[in-house]
Amino acid sequence: MSNDTLTHSVTFTEAPAALTVVVDPTPQIARGSAVIVERRRPKAAGWSLLQGLGVVVDHWRKSFRKLDDPTQIAGTFTTEYPEERLPLPEAYRNMPILLFDDATGHELCTSCFQCQRICPPQVIHMTQAKDPETGKPVPAVSEFIIEYDACMSCGFCAEVCPFDAIKMDHDFELSTANHPSLTVHKAGLLRPVSYYQSIAPTFWAEAEASAYKKLEANKKRRPASIGIAPQMIEQVKAAHELRDDQQEADSPPAPVAIAPALDAGRAATPATASAAPAASDGDLPTDKAARLAAIRARNEAKKAAEQAAPAQAQPAAEGAATALTTPDAPLTDALPAASERTAPPAPATPDAPLDEKAARLAAIRARNAAKKAAQAEEE
Amino acid sequence: MITTDELQINIGPQHPSTHGVFRMLLTVDGETVVHLEPVFGYLHRNHEQLAEVNTYLQNMPYTDRLDYFNSMANNHAYALAVEKLAGIEVPERAEYIRVLMVELTRILNHAGALGFMINDMGAWQTPLAFGIREREKILDLFELVSGARMMCNYFRFGGVVRDIPDEFIPRMKKLMIAMPAYMDELERLLRENEILLARSEGIGILPREVAVSYGVTGPVLRGSGIAYDIRKAEPYSIYDRFDFDVPVGSVGDVYDRFLVRIEEMRQSRRILEQIIEQLPDASGGHINPKARQNVRPPVGDAYARVESPKGELGFYLVSDGGTKPYRYKVRAPSFINLTPLGDMCRGYKVADIVVILGSIDIVMGEVDR
Repeated sequence: MSNDTLTHSVTFTEAPAALTVVVDPTPQIARGSAVIVERRRPKAAGWSLLQGLGVVVDHWRKSFRKLDDPTQIAGTFTTEYPEERLPLPEAYRNMPILLFDDATGHELCTSCFQCQRICPPQVIHMTQAKDPETGKPVPAVSEFIIEYDACMSCGFCAEVCPFDAIKMDHDFELSTANHPSLTVHKAGLLRPVSYYQSIAPTFWAEAEASAYKKLEANKKRRPASIGIAPQMIEQVKAAHELRDDQQEADSPPAPVAIAPALDAGRAATPATASAAPAASDGDLPTDKAARLAAIRARNEAKKAAEQAAPAQAQPAAEGAATALTTPDAPLTDALPAASERTAPPAPATPDAPLDEKAARLAAIRARNAAKKAAQAEEE
Repeated sequence: MITTDELQINIGPQHPSTHGVFRMLLTVDGETVVHLEPVFGYLHRNHEQLAEVNTYLQNMPYTDRLDYFNSMANNHAYALAVEKLAGIEVPERAEYIRVLMVELTRILNHAGALGFMINDMGAWQTPLAFGIREREKILDLFELVSGARMMCNYFRFGGVVRDIPDEFIPRMKKLMIAMPAYMDELERLLRENEILLARSEGIGILPREVAVSYGVTGPVLRGSGIAYDIRKAEPYSIYDRFDFDVPVGSVGDVYDRFLVRIEEMRQSRRILEQIIEQLPDASGGHINPKARQNVRPPVGDAYARVESPKGELGFYLVSDGGTKPYRYKVRAPSFINLTPLGDMCRGYKVADIVVILGSIDIVMGEVDR
């Protein structure tokens, strides 16, 4: 139809542009054509209104029929949320969660920082765990924070994670009147693998083999209870306490070696080459091994002193917990800085016990207390 | 003797039918609009500058939030621009999945746009519910493939994030069967409705010359009688493989834009039918396995455009060889289509401008960026 069939009249106060827009002769378009849409007029006055009303009445009539198939256009298919719920598709993504192994309690996360790096709104913060004995980084996280309130649910973190440790949750009922609670810490993020398996069975089936293979490799590099989900710590505590006791019983050689090593760090005398911490560096040249031993000993002493300091303020357990869970604070001591190699040993705080063993014990106690406080806060 | 004077009034920035935070500065002579000045910028959120501090991939979820009705189409335009810049190839199957999603987006956008336009006319909620109902079913499909209903973030450089699940095609076929009945019903409800005709015929006429001089695209341009569709004019992706028509209007008023949108929904359904037919034979996977998501495109620039449901959506990217775009520019159809609003409204009544605005189909997230 062309515009000459446009017979109705239109009146304007000041006719802005006449209804005389001329349409090109239909242009040739590959695989199709330009079609001019048909401007219909109602057959009789009021007819179209009745027709429209017919549609509404038709729907009203059909609304008594309960449908299972929501693709049909008429009928009722109401789902009585919250009593009834539609199944969510596996791919559904809401907020990121961390996974831990049901059997051993080990977290899958190794703090590789991939998710933190890719996160577009930058709401992921993590701190790598350190071995309290050696100060070396361990493939585990000591703290992991996601700001749920700023998360845009893009799912990139789950996509890039090479260890399948971070996944997108299906829980969407997160509304709360307590805004700060949306900054979720590690204990609040962790879910057992079996939970993820229940919400996304085929996705987990694809990832399972490689995820567990990588976890097994990482478990070997995690000393004591590092990398175990706080939820699981009670269950594996007995075994680990036993191991801790054994370690402390075995430890005397190390502190003994540390004291001379402190001097050796400055003088680099080959006499301390046989110091216990260097046991794994057997094939290094002797002087190098000695220097390494000295550096390690120094770092350890320094760390012990640092960790002993907060132990004084321990009665204020809340303060310690916040120090542990503040996003910015732990990032600074995530790695034992290589630049400290040439720095003199950190001056011990006046209150810190001079005895190295006592300092280390204090450090361990402080750490445990802080962890417990953090846990209590989470709960 | 009574003297009359022109009056300046504001509509907005929080008027319920202004589709977001938008202000119109009106000069009226009685009920007649003498001058209209659109004022935007209330929803500015630094999208383009933000993109320059993000990596190429990190920008993908932000494009969802431009025109939040059509996140798939936005993803497509951005992915095309980056692929052009970095020289990434897309497997055939991925192309089919992409076009499938984008055409579904077109249907849902038009269903929503028609509903909201009629809402603006005063048909409060009932026609909108008819439009939204179909939109919801398509959003369910999007949730199935991408995990989100609106912020899909489904496209990646070289394909899409994951293949469509097995239950997708059967569900979609069901929807395809129900869709003509839905479109017929929508037309029966509205097409000849006398109230709709009275409010839309001859209202907001945009002459074709004016439309072209403003750079208007999409259904607004086609409503003015120009058969310009980027899918035909410069076929991107695999649009040269499908048969479909380009509906055009003959007058360029609100009613023509309404009719063009209904017809485009039918044409989109035609494309979807062809996709369902051809998808099983498509070669390749859902993504090019060689495509790195952490792209470092060579120094240069690229412009890629798509026929988004609202018009020409283009992304202009300049690369300095790094991991982040040096410059990132969005050519947003809603923004360009909104500029002739003053010309379209001049001479009409105040009640008409809300309808005219509704017929342009704007999303302020895209206008202000």
